[in-house]
Amino acid sequence: MTIADTIPAGTARAGRDPVTPGKAARRRRGLVAWLFALPFVLIFGVFMLMPLISSFAMSFTDFKSSDVQDPFAVNFVGLDQYAALFTNPQFRKSMINTGIVVFAGIPLTMAAGLALAVALNSGITRLRTVFRVGFYTPVVTSIVAVAVVWRFILQPDGLLNTMLGWIGVSGPDWLNSTSLALPSLIVMTAWRNMGTLMVIFLAGLQTVPQEVHEAAMVDGATPGQRFRQITLPMLRPTLLLGAVLLSVAYLQFFEESFVMTKGGPLDSTLSVSYFTYNQFGFGKYGFASAASYLLFAAIALLSLAQFRALRSRD
Amino acid sequence: MVHRRTCLGAVLLAGMLVAAGCGRGDDGSTTTGPAAPVASGPASGTITLWAQGAEGEKLPAMVKQFEAANPGVKVEVTAIPWDAAHNKYQTAIAGGTTPDVAQMGTTWMADFATAFDPTPGGVDTSGMFDGAKGATQVNGATYGVPWYVDTRVIYYRTDLAAKAGFSSPPATWDDFKAMAKALQTKAGTKWGINLNPGGADSFQSALPFVWSNGASLMNADNSKWTLDTPQLADALKFYQSFFAEGIADKNVSTAAGAREAAFVNGSTPMLIDAPSFIGQLNQAGGAGFGSKYGVMRFPKQQSSTSFVGGSDLVVFKKAKNRDAAWKLVQWLSGPKVQTDWYKATGDLPAVESAWDDPSLSGDPKLKVFKDQLTDVKSPPANTAWTQVSAAADTQLERIVKSGTDPAAALKALQSSADSIGTGA
Amino acid sequence: MSVIHHPRRAARGRAWIYGALIVAVTATLLPFAWMLLGSFKTQGELLRDPNGWIPRAPTLDNYTRWFADLGVEQYFLTSTVVAVVTVLGNLLFCSMIGYALAKMDFPGKRLLFLLVMVTLMVPGVVTFVPLFVMVSKLGLVNTYPALILPYLASPLGVFLMRQFMLGIPDSLLEAARIDGAGESRIFARIVLPLCVPPLATLAILTFLTSWNNFLWPLVAAQSQDRYTLPVALALFSQGQNATDYGLLLAGSVLVIAPIVALFVFLQRFFIQGVASTGIK
Repeated sequence: MTIADTIPAGTARAGRDPVTPGKAARRRRGLVAWLFALPFVLIFGVFMLMPLISSFAMSFTDFKSSDVQDPFAVNFVGLDQYAALFTNPQFRKSMINTGIVVFAGIPLTMAAGLALAVALNSGITRLRTVFRVGFYTPVVTSIVAVAVVWRFILQPDGLLNTMLGWIGVSGPDWLNSTSLALPSLIVMTAWRNMGTLMVIFLAGLQTVPQEVHEAAMVDGATPGQRFRQITLPMLRPTLLLGAVLLSVAYLQFFEESFVMTKGGPLDSTLSVSYFTYNQFGFGKYGFASAASYLLFAAIALLSLAQFRALRSRD
Repeated sequence: MVHRRTCLGAVLLAGMLVAAGCGRGDDGSTTTGPAAPVASGPASGTITLWAQGAEGEKLPAMVKQFEAANPGVKVEVTAIPWDAAHNKYQTAIAGGTTPDVAQMGTTWMADFATAFDPTPGGVDTSGMFDGAKGATQVNGATYGVPWYVDTRVIYYRTDLAAKAGFSSPPATWDDFKAMAKALQTKAGTKWGINLNPGGADSFQSALPFVWSNGASLMNADNSKWTLDTPQLADALKFYQSFFAEGIADKNVSTAAGAREAAFVNGSTPMLIDAPSFIGQLNQAGGAGFGSKYGVMRFPKQQSSTSFVGGSDLVVFKKAKNRDAAWKLVQWLSGPKVQTDWYKATGDLPAVESAWDDPSLSGDPKLKVFKDQLTDVKSPPANTAWTQVSAAADTQLERIVKSGTDPAAALKALQSSADSIGTGA
Repeated sequence: MSVIHHPRRAARGRAWIYGALIVAVTATLLPFAWMLLGSFKTQGELLRDPNGWIPRAPTLDNYTRWFADLGVEQYFLTSTVVAVVTVLGNLLFCSMIGYALAKMDFPGKRLLFLLVMVTLMVPGVVTFVPLFVMVSKLGLVNTYPALILPYLASPLGVFLMRQFMLGIPDSLLEAARIDGAGESRIFARIVLPLCVPPLATLAILTFLTSWNNFLWPLVAAQSQDRYTLPVALALFSQGQNATDYGLLLAGSVLVIAPIVALFVFLQRFFIQGVASTGIK
């Protein structure tokens, strides 16, 4: 339905475009729309799209850092580098590690964020700002400070093992164990990111109308039942948003591993992003670009899958 | 759907364009003819200079003397953080925004050599340590000059060593291990020595042992990696034995300040580090701690060879003020300036005669450094080294933490290195 | 909630929640506390006793060095200018294109939105080198535009603004159009004032990204007067073989303080803003 259709014949506009009033007005509106979009599109095109396209092209060549001065004197290798990634045992290990981070870390972080949001939404009024800011601080705190404290917690004689000692459990050397290092880092990442989810879920919880809850209470539903059958379904779009944001972030898991364990021990905390970072450091730009775009494909696929699974069913 | 088809079409088109335009030329060797000599006379114009960290902070004061000696010249120093400096140089070379002169870590020379100006014949480096000069040679040509040097020696607690019955440094490998053990049994320390158990940069820290056992990483003409040799395996076996026999901690803490703390409180009375570590130890240990520890050369097996690092000064090919840049480099390589630089920063001079100055010759710890610098080697200067080194780090970690047999690990490393190539 | 029926049980339940939250928030704030306390320690103490909490010989040295010797105000200023311009630019451009995507019809609309969303998923590191080459060919190295332009078009910003604007009733805009208002007036006078929540959200997120950005400002700047705060932090606290931990911690406090302050101030809008966007 166009504006021309809603304008009564008697107004000033009526006589303007006698032959095809709809088409010309539509064209003008399209032009106006593009004008609105133009500043963004220009900057986006130059500073985001073009580097993206050239790095994508690079991933099909054997571009190395020594080639920058003469970019076209490289060999086109097609999909060879993508294939080489899959036959690289270190890359395969990094894929598995990243997968573990994603599939274990996302539910954990979402549960923590949801628990916090529910707690903060349950009618507490005092200290609310303290709690909100407090739980969000890890999101903005530098990884350096976070790493120092977490190492203090996870050391063989650190806080965690001391506390385990109180209940008679002898804790292992968390960060030096090939089986426990990655789970420890996952917990650390969840702690760092639960603040973002808490904020998103708080926002979502506030969209659940109070009347629905009250109606359910009148019907005698327990808090647990109300949560499962009313709150959670209504939170679906919020959960989706949280899951997608986390997927994008966790698939690019890098910082915690870089600062705490440097990818070790024995590559058990090496992620795809870390592998890519190393390749860029070696100057193998083409190879590293291929790894990055493979990661991008994974992000896109996972997001798509989540949209399908968590889409609003109404 | 329309937009999906256009997307696919765009990608295909881009792909074809890329394929059409690409292809390495048949260029073979890059011709670097003899470097043009530096014009005579005083320097003039503006010289842009990049330096990292502390060097970058202290250079502006130092170069004022150069500016005084060469009126009409202005030196602009930009300090770059060490963190990500490698990225910075990579992108600067890519974008053509390199300065005239830069401080280049010795391990980075091979990575960026194609962007450097070859050293002109008139620049004199005869008075510098041979080991340091080795790092400036890439693919048969010389780039830049050594600026300051860095090496690795063994730090040890003299008071605890005396308790363990060692009043003078051990001469051989067997003595060395015996000393480490004795520190545990007789002086009651928790560990004998702090050694890198694998992971990032660990292989590089084990190189002194490798070289001291007569092993070399490449063959004579640098065309092939020679990692799978009995000498290398024996060196790594020796290294492994410290962990296997409980003398070194497999799970040593990498937290900030942990090594210093352990050395100061005596739980780990020996470690391997660079001369710059002295400053940190003195800060951690407080006043008077300096008398409680000493440094010694690596113990001798076939030789007592250590690692040489540091930084070189390079002039870029695209330098806007080449002649003045080389003059500045020559000035910074003069013995007196080298000594002054040591006094300002603690960086050890690359020029041997600069060490004759009392501030350097009088210090017993520095004597050890100079002594060690007479027998040092640097890792191969080729673009494949960082990758081979990373593969070696992984193998070393297996050797230390999983107890893998060094010979088997080296076989695997050799095949990795062969597939990585020599970056020629 | 059970508030209506059992006041006393509810109060006790709330007490438990308060208790749990206080424990949790204390645990969460530990690194910040450690960092703050550590910034008042000497380098020697930090090396000797890395796990200690209360400084034994507290000193203001680290902070005085930042202000007096290292001129941190200059880096503060550069960071602020870059962040503020980036935020304002994003607020304007993202809301403009968001409006076009949400409320107008034009050819290529779907493709454009898809393209913008897709870039959200691309790992950032991959475009660095091509981006720098382009920036240097444009002659922009070591300029403020180089620090600002690549971040002036945030895909997340487009997403936030479009989602929110979808919820603005069309009737409101139609009425204005019938009254003869041009699109720009409608945008400025009607749409933008309604968009405070997503604009605040976008402001915080953009400010955060810009303020903490390290790698790009390092690469794009050639001289120290274009360094931002994180670059200066790395420069002065990291040596080749050693780190000046006191400087590092004090510098980290200086970097984080404005963000936390901003968040405390804007957190109400932030949550409101998030609530009114992709939740539909």
